[in-house]
Amino acid sequence: MNHKDTIRNEIGVECKRKNLELCHSPHISDEDKKAYAFLRQQARGEEKAFLQKAPERKAAFEPRILDTDLAVRRYLLEAQENEARAVFYKGLIDLDYDFELQYIIAKEKAQQLPQIAALRRELLLERQVAEQALKKVKSEKHEEAIQTFSDAREKQRQNLKDEIALLKKARQEGLISPKAFTNEKREKKLEIRDAIAVLKRQLPVRREQERLRHVRHRLSHDIKGQLRVLHSDIADHARKIPVEIKKKKPLISYLTWPLPGLGQLLLGQYMKAALFFIGSLFTYLVAIPYALGRQNYRGKGLFGLISLAAGGSRLDRSVIFMVEGVIAIILLLMGLLILYQSYRDVRRVETSMIQGVRKNNWFETKTTIRREGFPFFASAPAALVTIFIVLLPIAVTILISFTNYDPSHQSKFNWTGLLNYKQIVLGQGIAGGPFWYITGWTILWTIFATSLAILIGFVLALLVNQDRIYGKRLFRTVYLLPWAVPAFITIMFFSIMFSPSGPLTLALSSLLGKTVNIKYLTWGTRAVLIFLQGWLGSSYIFLLCTGILQGIPNDLYEAARIDGATGFQATRHITIPILLFQTAPLLIGQYTFNFNNFSIIWLFNGGGPFEPSKYGNIAGSSDLLISYIYKLTIQKQYQGIGSAITLIVSLALIFFTWIGFSRSKAFREEKL
Amino acid sequence: MSAKKDKGLYLSDRPPLTTLKVILLGISYVLLFFYVFIVLWPLSQILFTSFNGNQGSYIQIGGTYEFSTKHFDYLFQETYFLNWVLNTIVIALATAVLTLIFVSFTGYAYSRYRFKGRKASLMAIMLIQTIPTFAGIAAFYTLHSIVISIAPWFSRQLFLILIYAGGGIAGNTFILKGYIDSISTELDDAARIDGCGNLQVYRLIIMPIVRPMLAVIALWSFIGPFLDFMLPSILLNDPKTYTLATGLNTLITDQYNMHQPVFAAGGLLTAVPIIILFIALQKQLVSGLASGAVKG
Repeated sequence: MNHKDTIRNEIGVECKRKNLELCHSPHISDEDKKAYAFLRQQARGEEKAFLQKAPERKAAFEPRILDTDLAVRRYLLEAQENEARAVFYKGLIDLDYDFELQYIIAKEKAQQLPQIAALRRELLLERQVAEQALKKVKSEKHEEAIQTFSDAREKQRQNLKDEIALLKKARQEGLISPKAFTNEKREKKLEIRDAIAVLKRQLPVRREQERLRHVRHRLSHDIKGQLRVLHSDIADHARKIPVEIKKKKPLISYLTWPLPGLGQLLLGQYMKAALFFIGSLFTYLVAIPYALGRQNYRGKGLFGLISLAAGGSRLDRSVIFMVEGVIAIILLLMGLLILYQSYRDVRRVETSMIQGVRKNNWFETKTTIRREGFPFFASAPAALVTIFIVLLPIAVTILISFTNYDPSHQSKFNWTGLLNYKQIVLGQGIAGGPFWYITGWTILWTIFATSLAILIGFVLALLVNQDRIYGKRLFRTVYLLPWAVPAFITIMFFSIMFSPSGPLTLALSSLLGKTVNIKYLTWGTRAVLIFLQGWLGSSYIFLLCTGILQGIPNDLYEAARIDGATGFQATRHITIPILLFQTAPLLIGQYTFNFNNFSIIWLFNGGGPFEPSKYGNIAGSSDLLISYIYKLTIQKQYQGIGSAITLIVSLALIFFTWIGFSRSKAFREEKL
Repeated sequence: MSAKKDKGLYLSDRPPLTTLKVILLGISYVLLFFYVFIVLWPLSQILFTSFNGNQGSYIQIGGTYEFSTKHFDYLFQETYFLNWVLNTIVIALATAVLTLIFVSFTGYAYSRYRFKGRKASLMAIMLIQTIPTFAGIAAFYTLHSIVISIAPWFSRQLFLILIYAGGGIAGNTFILKGYIDSISTELDDAARIDGCGNLQVYRLIIMPIVRPMLAVIALWSFIGPFLDFMLPSILLNDPKTYTLATGLNTLITDQYNMHQPVFAAGGLLTAVPIIILFIALQKQLVSGLASGAVKG
């Protein structure tokens, strides 16, 4: 492939080639090319000589600067130098785009730097004046001014008191509402505070202090802003000036693969290179050594995942090897990501340079990072925490579900493939046996407990929000209580009440004439649990429905009444559809919540009563899958099977959440 | 009801009551008061037993009643109740603050910036979060021992805070993002033209507007540790470091330390501030929950 005779700058405009050596047009003879090469060579030589003379020019100009401030001197010197450069490069513009760029940079600097120097000089002068004024004012006595100020302040305060008294009177006479009263009062207070603040600023010392602060602020901010304008002007020009290089393929990008930063360095983007070097330090000093087993806590990096500490010493535990293996994978992925990003960055810069687009300078890169990198920087801490606190444990759980991590393999376990899943599905073994029974009860529980709570909440909301019910506020407050009291307290309390010698057991027994111990009865416990959850869960539904009911416009009911609908019909055809429609997504959340409602099962009866013939020795008959998992993994140490069940449950939950999600408004409207 | 028979003038704008309606209204009241009883009876029992001095280790209802504060004395003197309160408050506060910091950044970034993997990452994490937290408990233990080998001061409580805060990121980001989405971007644009940077736009423009939602998120993150029993019971191993839920549980499950009335007293002290909080802020709390789900 030959070089094209035209090149494209960053804006996409075709430009003529200036470098004749790279042209392949038949109109250009070899002699022309040679002549061009000679000229260019010469120009380069001149440029070198010219730049070497910079110190001389500086020495010649320096004595002519009268300013003492270092920054001003620097700006002026630089402006002078750039003026000389502009003159020098102007003659070379037609030879090469690089010279054109140099010319434009020099021109811009020569033009803007004196202005910046002037601004700084002016501000410095202002600061000096302000400092002197402050000193002078401080040395004087201001009793009179202070007196005037405190008089005025007293007056304002008195004014405020009067206004408030007036408002109070108006309130007592019932002219304004309590809300208007508090609002007015606050407004008046703010007004007076502002007025006093203004008065304070008029005190001589205060005034001068403020002025000085203002000048200082401008000194730091305005100069920076001006410099930023200069840089962005230069960047704007650079974008229009293309670049010509001999290269036809992005070779450096391949070179930078093993060492991020190298490519950037070769391309002359030094700051970016430094950043990527820091990244490569992470890859080579942290990620890869860790993956190879160095600096591990106990494990062996990636190898630990394969061996699972098999044949290790007594202290080597398989779990640790597994967790560290997963950490190694995460770190390695991060390291690879850095390598890849560096490669992509260099490749992008190189390919666009071949087309004629000039590479960005540090000022532009900084701006881009600030604009486009922000969301990544902003979510980086959250992402890190999520990776290590949420994703890592889940990955480990997935891995454990393929091992025989059980009471007899606590320290060392092996990969066993799908054995755990087989046991669960077939209902075999000590741990997998009761799986289907528990699943059945979990589904029953989820449906009944949630539906009961929803029913109670719905009915209560409809009843309370009738027109003619008085004491709505009282009812609402009372019905809120089951939600407001921490659930663990009520559940534990009910657990006490239903214990063998508990008050409710005794009451029930005397009522039925025989000893009824709910906690020893499978269906008794289950029924009580469902009612208890109905009691606990109804409050929230009630509050939700009340909120929605209050939001239904009254016009609907009036229209219905005019059309001859009875109250019952209005409820049936207006209220209930609106309620259901608006609460539906939340109700799905209630079902998934109860599916995983560990607290109530655990705290009420610990999953009991036991029924070993059906449920084995681990689970009780009121255990949900979640409490069963708890017993398996935490208490009985059947982590392998527990993890497998967790995964199955999680997949089911994810499926239902997904359904809820995909039907939600936000998702359908593509607003996510 | 405002129909005054003696004046013979019917002034209400509601249709007059028929006999059937009076009966229905009566039934409504009966049902409502019945449920008031159902709600208040157990809660009042907690209140009464905690002040009934005439009980031993077990709760007795219906026996002789003798007012005393001995259960409260026991609670403060013989148990670590004050430690538990302090632990819970510290954990709750730290969780709320951490969550706010994380979520402010992510909510803003996910709402206002378009970047690669935005939708996918949020969706993936939302779905993955439905997996019960203690599923990864084996990993938590190991992770913790790895972390202490690097930073010995990193206690289990700190780890708990990190789990609470980390677990809430995705859901709360979703809520906050939805809320920020509803604010017009014209405000940001104006601020940007005036020279505000990314963070300044958030701090000066967006944060003041989303403050109510931030308050709701902070409130829920704060209440969470008060209500959670499962994670502290798994992670914390020293009674002194327990939170209220696990601590109070020891008073009714521990064979040697069984004091049911004391539990009632502790439960009462825990519940009262939370009840007040809920009643005072019920609207905000419900709106926070609702917006999370509706927007989701």
